[in-house]
Amino acid sequence: MELLPQLLINGVIFGSLLAIPAIGFTAIFAVLRFPNFSVASHATIGAFAGYAANVWLGLPTVPALLFAFTTAAAVGCISDEIALKPLRPYGALTAAIASIALTIVLENMVRLGFGNDLRGYNLPLMRDWRMYGVRVGPQQLQNLILALMIMTIVFLALKFTRTGKAMRAVADNPELAELKGIDPTFVGRLTVFFGMGLVGAGGMLLGLGTSIDPLTGFRFILPIFAAAVVGGLGSIPGSVIGAMVIGIGEELSILVLSATYKSAVGFFAIVIVLIFRPRGILGERKF
Amino acid sequence: MLSYFLANLTFAGIYALLALGLNVIWGMAGMINLGLAGFFALGAYASSIATVYLEFPIVLGVSLGVMVAATAGGVLSQLSLNLRGDYLAIVTLGFGELIRLIATNETWLTNGSDGISGVPGPFRSSLTPLAFNAVACALVISTVLVAWFISERIRKAPFGRALRAIRDDEMAAAVAGKPVRLYKIQAFAIGSALLGLAGAAYAHFNSYVAPDIFRPLLTIYIFFALTAGGTGNTLGAVFGAVLVIALLEGTRFIEPFFESLSGVQAASIREIVIGATLIFVMRFRPKGIFAERPPRPLGTSD
Amino acid sequence: MSILNRRLFLGASAAALAAPSLLGAQTMPIKLGSLTPLTGVGGTYGPSMRDAISGVINQVNEAGGLLGREVVLVSEDTQTSPEAAVRAARKLIDVDGVAAILGTWASSVTTAVAPLAWESRTMLMCVSGADSITQLPHQGFICRTQPNAELQINTAGEFMLREGATQLAWIGRQTPFAELSIHVLEKIAAENDFGMDSLIYEADKTTYRSEVDQILRSNPDFILLGGYAADTVVLLRDLWQAGYEGQIVGPAYAVNPSVLDTLPKDVTEGVFTWEGAPAVESAAYANVQQILGVEDVDPYSAQTYDHANLSILAMAAGEGTTGDTIQSNLRLISQGDGALVDNAVDGLAMLSGGINYSGASGPCDFDDIGDIVGTQFVFKLISNGVASVHSRT
Repeated sequence: MELLPQLLINGVIFGSLLAIPAIGFTAIFAVLRFPNFSVASHATIGAFAGYAANVWLGLPTVPALLFAFTTAAAVGCISDEIALKPLRPYGALTAAIASIALTIVLENMVRLGFGNDLRGYNLPLMRDWRMYGVRVGPQQLQNLILALMIMTIVFLALKFTRTGKAMRAVADNPELAELKGIDPTFVGRLTVFFGMGLVGAGGMLLGLGTSIDPLTGFRFILPIFAAAVVGGLGSIPGSVIGAMVIGIGEELSILVLSATYKSAVGFFAIVIVLIFRPRGILGERKF
Repeated sequence: MLSYFLANLTFAGIYALLALGLNVIWGMAGMINLGLAGFFALGAYASSIATVYLEFPIVLGVSLGVMVAATAGGVLSQLSLNLRGDYLAIVTLGFGELIRLIATNETWLTNGSDGISGVPGPFRSSLTPLAFNAVACALVISTVLVAWFISERIRKAPFGRALRAIRDDEMAAAVAGKPVRLYKIQAFAIGSALLGLAGAAYAHFNSYVAPDIFRPLLTIYIFFALTAGGTGNTLGAVFGAVLVIALLEGTRFIEPFFESLSGVQAASIREIVIGATLIFVMRFRPKGIFAERPPRPLGTSD
Repeated sequence: MSILNRRLFLGASAAALAAPSLLGAQTMPIKLGSLTPLTGVGGTYGPSMRDAISGVINQVNEAGGLLGREVVLVSEDTQTSPEAAVRAARKLIDVDGVAAILGTWASSVTTAVAPLAWESRTMLMCVSGADSITQLPHQGFICRTQPNAELQINTAGEFMLREGATQLAWIGRQTPFAELSIHVLEKIAAENDFGMDSLIYEADKTTYRSEVDQILRSNPDFILLGGYAADTVVLLRDLWQAGYEGQIVGPAYAVNPSVLDTLPKDVTEGVFTWEGAPAVESAAYANVQQILGVEDVDPYSAQTYDHANLSILAMAAGEGTTGDTIQSNLRLISQGDGALVDNAVDGLAMLSGGINYSGASGPCDFDDIGDIVGTQFVFKLISNGVASVHSRT
């Protein structure tokens, strides 16, 4: 078995899954201009909502994914309205800190309802396919395709729908957008809805390959943040590129680093990219 | 009960040192540092390694801890000077996790996830636990007073005013001829020194350091302390730290009221109450309980 | 601040509850502390560990209590953090005045709490595996029911030999016993002229596909797992998907009932587990099953069940209610020639004739430094999602 191509494939798959919540995180940053750390708990909520739909209601992957999206989006909107929106006028960092407090609250609400037990989705598991000396799992492939479809929908929606255009306008220049008659509050709510929805869907997609518990979201927030920063905070194509850099970088790192330092890859990628491009690979707020 | 009270006062003092350190970096200079736990760890590990493996006296160990943390703070801020706040937030967050990874994996230096036990405490072996807590508490409180005094001096000095100018409008400060880069690095290093001091104090009080101690949750608590107390206000930083410990400990006593719940549910409710209280405090006092007041210029009387 | 007031009020009322222990000592309940991870990464284990302790205490109270007094459980959460655990332990010791703290899980948490325990003369019973714990200067105030790591890995290594392994591999997360495990297996491999490869991975990742690719390059035919449940569940899945056909053995606390519930049956088919075994005739295991209402008991819960029984019996034997009583009477009731008992209620009744407690996790005999001795191990084979006894040592 050739290691390098195999690690590349593993990295691409991981990176594409990472891209979904990274898009959500970066979109919220682009419009509301603060790093919303509560993506951790929203990813967990998405994963549990998908679990409930899949295991309790017997839904297959795609409807369960939609359910994960909707639940995380709704929780995101409600909690934003109560906890974060009133604090945004006091600065990005105040809101960011409050979003961490929100994470603690939401994570423990999941724990209160579901307990700490590990839970697995009720999906058939298949052995990997082997081609040309590398292996790829049918389920990984399915997740990859789902991730690519979600990304396509996001890009098309931003480009061609009124809402998408409004979001881009606010991200670009809120004052100008307001002059054009776009209500920034409404656009903000929409962004939280779709952003947290994507985070929730991403949480479920990442959770499909493992088992989930209330800490599920915490396991991948660092790579999500790293992906968004490397690509350029607020840039949606940037977050996809960033996710690929982090995903592939983490998997390839075991060739040169001890596997125990996998998480350090995100940090080094950030430092290296930011030394040369202080606003990330694609710069900021480029939709 | 008294022993418990003293111990928690000591923890509050250590949290206050952390909050004061963060106050210099964030409150005064406006740079975010989500890697607090990492600097706390540097101070704790440097002092523990020096006193346990090299058998340095505690005072020397603590000074070493302060120096290591300050140096790391200076270097990290030098590397990340060009970054805006949100980027710095994530870089420092990553830095904190990197320190924890190193502490976990470089067993030759840190004894890995086993941690370093038997870190000496001042007079610990010859005192009862209660007396030791009293000594530790007195030492930490005096350290907080000194740190508080230094913070106030910085705040009122020209350096502190320049920092606030940089925080509020970096461009204007640069135009006004302030050495912005140098001041920012200095502020980060001074703040990190206080974080390292807190770490060293923690190690000698607790007599044990291990990577698990330095999880990001600690960073979050300190941010709450400072935000709740009042960013940029030294008194607020200390008060906020006491408030956070009071909240963390006080919530233990609500658990008996939820007897019908399982252990894990009661524990979840405790954490929900902690998180929700912090959100409420921030929502209704967004500038903190003690808002920042610009100091009077030196030399004017009350 | 209202929060401060409330805290003071609650603190004061807690003090009011704790203070009269001097006055009405005979009627005050006896307190035992449970300090398990209810949140954080150890959260998959802590809740049932706590419930096992609570179940023992309920049984003892229903049978009339201890020394004519009620036993009360005070439960705190370590949050799987030594920092939080130390504050929790101080509360248990200084406010509640518990005689013993039971069930600390993470080695770092146990080591952090240990000095508080021995300085305040409170007994500390843990399930942590790091060998360094019992080497602390604890004056008999620490004991653990988890066999030490070297013994565990040696046992597993010999099992792998018996089952015909020729190319060994160890894969696990960074723990205080990761390097020791690799070292022990390397020694076994060298003695038998086998190959051996190892990989330490980072905990808390969502996939170990690349790590699996890496370790499978040495073509192992027997893999020893060294993780906990949350990462083992990912690893087993990735090994299976990679088409690994060799054998696997993992500690029963890592391949535990919740892992078996979570994973498809194909994935765990043929995996071996091992754990410290209860004496064959012991009814203790069945008692834990009944307390927890489960078929398969997690090894850590079996151990905390033993912690509660041991501390209650030691207090009864010494007719005292302090950590000192437990420290000086523990070995009196846990080992020796007395009648074998497997629960505190029976033990209390038979105490005068001398007893030897043998519990759900093993015979519970301790050496001078508080390590468990004479543990027998049971190997189980998982088939169709159910673990059944394969062999014993």
